[in-house]
Amino acid sequence: MSPAGALRSRIDSWFLSRRPPSDTLELTQRNVYIVPTRAGWTLGATLLVLLIASINYQLNLGYLLTFLLAGSVAVGMHVCHGTLRGLAMHLVPPDAHYAGAAAVFRVVLHNTRRRVRYGIGMAVRGSGQWAWTDVPAEGTSTVEIAFQPERRGLHPVPPLTAETRFPLGTFRVWTVWQPAAQMLVYPTPEAHPPPLPPGEPLSGPAAMSASLRAHNAGEYDGVRAYRRGDPLKLVVWKKAARAQAAGSEELVSRDTQQTQREELWLDARSTGLADAEARLSRLCAWVLMADRLGVDYGIRVEGRVMKPSQGEAHRRACLEALALC
Amino acid sequence: MNRVIRELAALPRDARDTLFLLCVIGLILLPQIENLPWWCTAITAMVLLWRASLSVQGRSLPSKWWRLALLALILGATYATHRTLLGRDAGVTLIVSLLALKTLELRARRDAFVVFFLGFFAMLTNFFYSQSLLTAFTMLLALLGLLTALVNAHMPVGRPPLMQAARMAGWMALAGAPIMLALFLLFPRLAPLWGTPSDAMVGRSGLSNTMRVGTIAELALDDRIAARIKFDGDRAPPQSQLYFRGPVLAQFDGREWTALPSWARGAQWSPNLRVSGEAVRYEVTLEASNRPWLLTLDASQQPPAAPGFEVTGTPDLQWIANRPVTDLVRYRAESYTQFQSGPLKRTGGQLQAYLALPPGTNPRTAALAAEMRADPALANANAQAFVQAALRRLRTGGYSYTLEPGIYGNDTADEFWFDRKEGFCEHIASAFVVLMRNLNVPARIVTGYQGGELNGVDNYWIVRQSDAHAWAEIWQEGIGWTRVDPTGSVAPGRIGQTQRLQPQPGLIAGAFGSMSPTLVQNIRAAWEAVNNGWNQWVLNYTQSRQLNLLKNIGFKAPSLEDLAYVLLYLLVGASLAGAGWTLWERSRHDPWLRLLGRARARLAKAGLQVPDTAPPRQMAQAADAHFGPAAQAVRDWLLKLEAQRYAPATPDSLSTLRAEFRRIAWPTDHPRG
Repeated sequence: MSPAGALRSRIDSWFLSRRPPSDTLELTQRNVYIVPTRAGWTLGATLLVLLIASINYQLNLGYLLTFLLAGSVAVGMHVCHGTLRGLAMHLVPPDAHYAGAAAVFRVVLHNTRRRVRYGIGMAVRGSGQWAWTDVPAEGTSTVEIAFQPERRGLHPVPPLTAETRFPLGTFRVWTVWQPAAQMLVYPTPEAHPPPLPPGEPLSGPAAMSASLRAHNAGEYDGVRAYRRGDPLKLVVWKKAARAQAAGSEELVSRDTQQTQREELWLDARSTGLADAEARLSRLCAWVLMADRLGVDYGIRVEGRVMKPSQGEAHRRACLEALALC
Repeated sequence: MNRVIRELAALPRDARDTLFLLCVIGLILLPQIENLPWWCTAITAMVLLWRASLSVQGRSLPSKWWRLALLALILGATYATHRTLLGRDAGVTLIVSLLALKTLELRARRDAFVVFFLGFFAMLTNFFYSQSLLTAFTMLLALLGLLTALVNAHMPVGRPPLMQAARMAGWMALAGAPIMLALFLLFPRLAPLWGTPSDAMVGRSGLSNTMRVGTIAELALDDRIAARIKFDGDRAPPQSQLYFRGPVLAQFDGREWTALPSWARGAQWSPNLRVSGEAVRYEVTLEASNRPWLLTLDASQQPPAAPGFEVTGTPDLQWIANRPVTDLVRYRAESYTQFQSGPLKRTGGQLQAYLALPPGTNPRTAALAAEMRADPALANANAQAFVQAALRRLRTGGYSYTLEPGIYGNDTADEFWFDRKEGFCEHIASAFVVLMRNLNVPARIVTGYQGGELNGVDNYWIVRQSDAHAWAEIWQEGIGWTRVDPTGSVAPGRIGQTQRLQPQPGLIAGAFGSMSPTLVQNIRAAWEAVNNGWNQWVLNYTQSRQLNLLKNIGFKAPSLEDLAYVLLYLLVGASLAGAGWTLWERSRHDPWLRLLGRARARLAKAGLQVPDTAPPRQMAQAADAHFGPAAQAVRDWLLKLEAQRYAPATPDSLSTLRAEFRRIAWPTDHPRG
């Protein structure tokens, strides 16, 4: 990082430390900052040259031009500061995201003024990916700020920054904002995971009841992931069609003998990978795969155990366990 | 037409913004055209049109090589035209061409800024050539245009209508105008920081310090204003007395009259001015001439009081400033229209220079002089008698005044006296002086302006370039130099008349003039009065006026530092006002909440404390419980206040409620039971 960049980030950290994190921020004189941009300095130099030319050629009209331009720039500075001052920002609680995937924060901007606020940009601090918006007079506008979560886990929302250069681009008015909200980041799902692991035989009372049920019902069917060598008549075409509609090529086989006595455990140890993050990544992919297939699954990871089940809530719980372990 | 507008409206934002910027650049450069070399105008127009067509058709910009080639062409042509790349005129040519060229490279935000800044420079360069009201107005439009484009460039969302940006630009200029006014009034007017390049002094015509046959004919066609004169008490001398003295020319090479070099003046160093009659006091507003001459009415004893100039007088009664008049300047002067000057006696060779003629020229004029001297009627005649004889010849010899005398040969005096017998003031004056010198009468040419016209609207006398004139002065033993205007003998109308010998007007002007000459004159008089106001108040706002302003404010002996102090005070005052406003804004609450707070305070005064957080309805209930029926009006009012804020259609405005609040009958503290 360049010295100027380091200095700027230090200044920003100092700004951040001045106020406690909050999901709503009203911008006032105290937390909006203003500095001239490079274009602003150039315009200043231009004004100086115009002034010198006016003096040297004794042009009264040149003075008028120079001073009118200077006056407009001064008013522009005020307008620029006013674009952010008085704006209220509210962070919509962020959804959970996968690490490494593109995601957005939603921020709602409230304008109580009777004039439109033009050209407000928002970004995660230091990302340089600006989302621009105008906030209508006495209205609101929602900005979607792009970001890419890097590590799994429960993180505070990174500091956000709002900026404007409206109207003349000669000044940069900005604020930094540390929201209080936290966001959950799941591990990155592995891109091309191997098929689901085979089920494990039931043991204990659960196994007994399952086998009893199988005996009683006779034709109770479970499903499992298609394995090489499964006869075609075992494939559950309805589920396969649904899975394919969801963009997956995986097939599902009817499990007549084993399912009753086996259940699908996604275990960190069964991934056969040494790296802890890689294991979590594969488990994450498997959870998503199993969820798509609609089979019961449980996970065992780092001492956390989620009993086999399915559904949206279960999937979330599993992913959360993967994110936080 | 409609189709064109629709197509323009349907252009993508990029193309629309570029077209707008190109139009603004065109507006900035338009007034420059007459001052630019033709190739610069051609290249600039071509590049701007090319760029416009590229953006309308959505094609990509030309490659770097195109731009480099054009740049090389421009640099080469500028050097070929001006023989330098520095200096004012070359600089203007370069700025204009580069501004156009840069539009071919509008890619990044940085490029756009370069165009804007070059645009501001280009606007200033307009003022080198003209600071008229029209130029000022055009440049104001152009500045608003540039600001609009700049604002528009900082509206990144969607395709905002240009009107929005224009409104913002207009607001900024309007709010910036007081700042401009304060700075303009108070920013100390300094002398030039360093010498301006010499080519700043050419380009504007006016009187010249030489006189060649034909040069004043051009001026006679030039209707621009040279100076404005305001006589004290509006007591102007008769128009025939209004001679404004310019350079005095005494050296003749047969074709061209030039000023006498200082070594040839001999011992005559003092003007030795002798005046009679009443002094005329007046104020001159002199237009920029790029010459150091300060025009005064012939002749003044004291140097004109021109602020910012050091003025010295020449032995020829001319007043010379220490630097050229590059801008409007105003000064007071005092003159006597009846005067003589120069030595009374011919001593030594000091008048020899005023008798010199190039040998071998104008032989027929010399013969004429010999003939006159041999004339018994003129035997022993003095200079005055020779002058009268020559003037008589001019009056009666069939000589006429014309603006189109044609090209004269080598012996101009001979041709005038014998062949053509027509010409304008400089032919006449030149031929007259040659004849006088042949008669051994010291004579010289004086150039300047004669006459002027009174603008009835503001009572200023206006002297135009077309009033440029040349007359003669002859020296007479015992009297000194006196003025003789031979042109008056040829064309009495040329001197002392309002109606000038005018060049034929163009077709349209002719039709307009014949329709209503007085209307045209009135419009012109009014326009010139406006222009004069502009000159007096804006262009001629000088250091002395600044100091006068301070005197009016109450400074005893104002100086430039005081100006800076006043500016500083204004700045501090404005900052304090800004800080106060911020404080006030911070304490300002929603007006509805403020009204609610007043109601709460009033209830507390009546004896009922309600918590700060209580909404109107809760306050109404509390009042009802506390005061009973006496609180009826208060309760109704509070419910109306609630409706004002929350009901979808609000029956009462906040100001009505505020008025009702004052009228309400507040209960007193008589709790029930």
